[in-house]
Amino acid sequence: MHSAGRSWLLLTGFVLFYVIYLLFGALVFSSIERPVEDKLRHDMETLKQEFLNLSCVNPASLERFLVQVLAANKYGVSVLRNSTATSNWDLASSMFFANTLVTTVGYGHTTPLSDTGKAFSIVYALLGVPFTMLVLTACVQRLMYPLVLAPVGLLQRSGMEPRSATAVHFLLLLLLVVLCFLLAPAAIFSLLEVSWSFLDGVYFCFISLCTIGLGDFVPGTQPGQQYRPLYQVSVMVYLFVGLMMMFLLLHTFHKMADLHGLTTFLQLPHCEETDEDREPIVDNKLEEESSYPSDKAASKPLEPGSQPSYNTINKG
Amino acid sequence: MAAPDLLDPKSAAHNSKPRLSFSAIPVVLNTPDDECDTRTTVMRWKTVSAIFFLVVLYLIIGATVFKALEQPHESSQKLAILAEKLDFLAMHSCVNSSELEDLVKQVVSAVRAGVNPSGNSSNQTSLWDLSSSFFFAGTVITTIGFGNISPHTEGGRIFCIIYALLGIPLFGFLLAGVGDQLGTIFGKGIAKVEKMIVKWQVSQTKIRVISTLLFILFGCLILVALPAVIFKHIEGWSTLESIYFVVITLTTIGFGDFVAGEKGGTEGLESLDFYKPVVWFWILVGLAYFAAVLSMIGDWFRVISKKTKEEVGEFRAHAAEWTANVSAEFKETRRRLSVDIYDKFQRAASMKRKLSSELGVNASMNQEMTPGKRTLSANLCENRDSYPNLTLSLSPVSGALTRNGSLYLNGLSPDYADRREIAIIENLK
Repeated sequence: MHSAGRSWLLLTGFVLFYVIYLLFGALVFSSIERPVEDKLRHDMETLKQEFLNLSCVNPASLERFLVQVLAANKYGVSVLRNSTATSNWDLASSMFFANTLVTTVGYGHTTPLSDTGKAFSIVYALLGVPFTMLVLTACVQRLMYPLVLAPVGLLQRSGMEPRSATAVHFLLLLLLVVLCFLLAPAAIFSLLEVSWSFLDGVYFCFISLCTIGLGDFVPGTQPGQQYRPLYQVSVMVYLFVGLMMMFLLLHTFHKMADLHGLTTFLQLPHCEETDEDREPIVDNKLEEESSYPSDKAASKPLEPGSQPSYNTINKG
Repeated sequence: MAAPDLLDPKSAAHNSKPRLSFSAIPVVLNTPDDECDTRTTVMRWKTVSAIFFLVVLYLIIGATVFKALEQPHESSQKLAILAEKLDFLAMHSCVNSSELEDLVKQVVSAVRAGVNPSGNSSNQTSLWDLSSSFFFAGTVITTIGFGNISPHTEGGRIFCIIYALLGIPLFGFLLAGVGDQLGTIFGKGIAKVEKMIVKWQVSQTKIRVISTLLFILFGCLILVALPAVIFKHIEGWSTLESIYFVVITLTTIGFGDFVAGEKGGTEGLESLDFYKPVVWFWILVGLAYFAAVLSMIGDWFRVISKKTKEEVGEFRAHAAEWTANVSAEFKETRRRLSVDIYDKFQRAASMKRKLSSELGVNASMNQEMTPGKRTLSANLCENRDSYPNLTLSLSPVSGALTRNGSLYLNGLSPDYADRREIAIIENLK
């Protein structure tokens, strides 16, 4: 009972902390963005006024025109002169869209217009999202050995203590991932995209790899883009591999936290232990036997949720 | 492993009952674990690449379907808006095309920034007031990321990155905790129901299946159908659009073409004040529910595959043990039998010596051997009945005993049947 009470207490603590975190974020965003928004609104007003003053257009018809343009633009249909050639739904772009759907990034720069399209997206997403998660988890499990277990073993053999070995390795892995999947692609994007700065590139990479996918920056949507299909496919590949690396990082971090006793302290589900996964992250099996209770279920990165008690229900 | 001395017939003859197994632990020939591991490692690669190709195929199929569905719509939209533009230009001849393009470009980028130029600015609510910023922070942390609002200043973007870096794991912990609690509650309920139903002699798998289905149905009803109806009523979307929004949000895809609470400004602010936090709370519980369903399905697959592996492994172990037992019994019987044969030959030899010494006649081997052979054959036939595995064929003509061609006992002269031959018999496996 004591542990049950403790877990409830921890949960309420988490919820409270989460709410406070959100409020804090809200305050900061509000204070940063609001002045800029006001200024932009003001600029728009002046622009409209100027336009109306110069021409014979009356406000009502301009309003109507603008509303229609904006409605079309929301679906990615632009009224500008040089955008008539490229479609948002040719094969490569549709594949890009399907990819954003299935990896749950969901930029939103193009969204299904027709009712059938919407219905199909629902079904497609419901099937595709678990599928993709399965693939990513399986790939991460395969990658664990060469990228995590072997280097940690190496570090250990060179005389390090197990815990510090895992910590050092995790930091190295983090550095590597940030370099290869955040900074390098950001530089490439800032070169390839006309209006992006390096910071914009970093912002885009981060927002995409965390599957947030706000959609304010999407590569390959500029009208004059050369080799657009190739570009979009390579961005897709980058997203997929990057997502895999993020999962790997999270998994490694989870195992490390297990090792350092964090998960037990916070009463969170332990790292999954499958038959292939039985090899602990450190070679020292003796002292680490206790920290891998084999009846706890997995905590999936970015969508964790496990019911260890469900496993303990006697299986038929 | 105290195996009796096989080479000592006398001591072995005392152990008349064949032992089932020579060792206490079951004999497992090659550890199934190793086989399983190597086999699963090899299969795992295959499985992973198979699933990967399936995913790529799935993407391609989706791409073609989307293209087929959406491209016609897009073209018609394009034509419509171009016609609008031309109409506008024709109607208002003092506007030239480039000025209009300029205006449109600026308007579009302003809308991207969240500023809607239509209408006048006096009664428009800001997109960055506290409740909307709260909502935005929520969409960032849950990785939904609608995108109808996004930061446009450099400072805002940098802060967004740092904020997400810390917030996403935090939300992950929260989700794990909520999912845990949900799962525990559900698991306890299931256990109670199982206790009740087990009296009715229904198999546990059936109970589990039924209960999972009930869980999924119940959860869908409360967390998907009900909010869809509410959204349809409040936001004025169609049924399909509401369901579309619910699914896209709860799977954290979050396109942003439909966002709850976007239609701001004209509605009464009081209803909107608690509307957005309630929506956020619904997202939290809905995400936990989705995650719980997914992990439950994953658990099932893991349990099923583990059970299958176990059962297969157990079966293999059983089969191996059975084989080992049978062969041990077989060896034991062969040994006992050869000892028997040796005994009988000794007796026959001594009888023969007696007879020959009494008669003093050099009787022919075959005729003299016939009674001995006959007794021998009678004995051996008895043995044959009780040991069906042994196929002993006695050919009276050649005077040879053959069993499967591997045991060849020359029955002509009992003098040959000495200890060395017994040893040879033993060593013949």
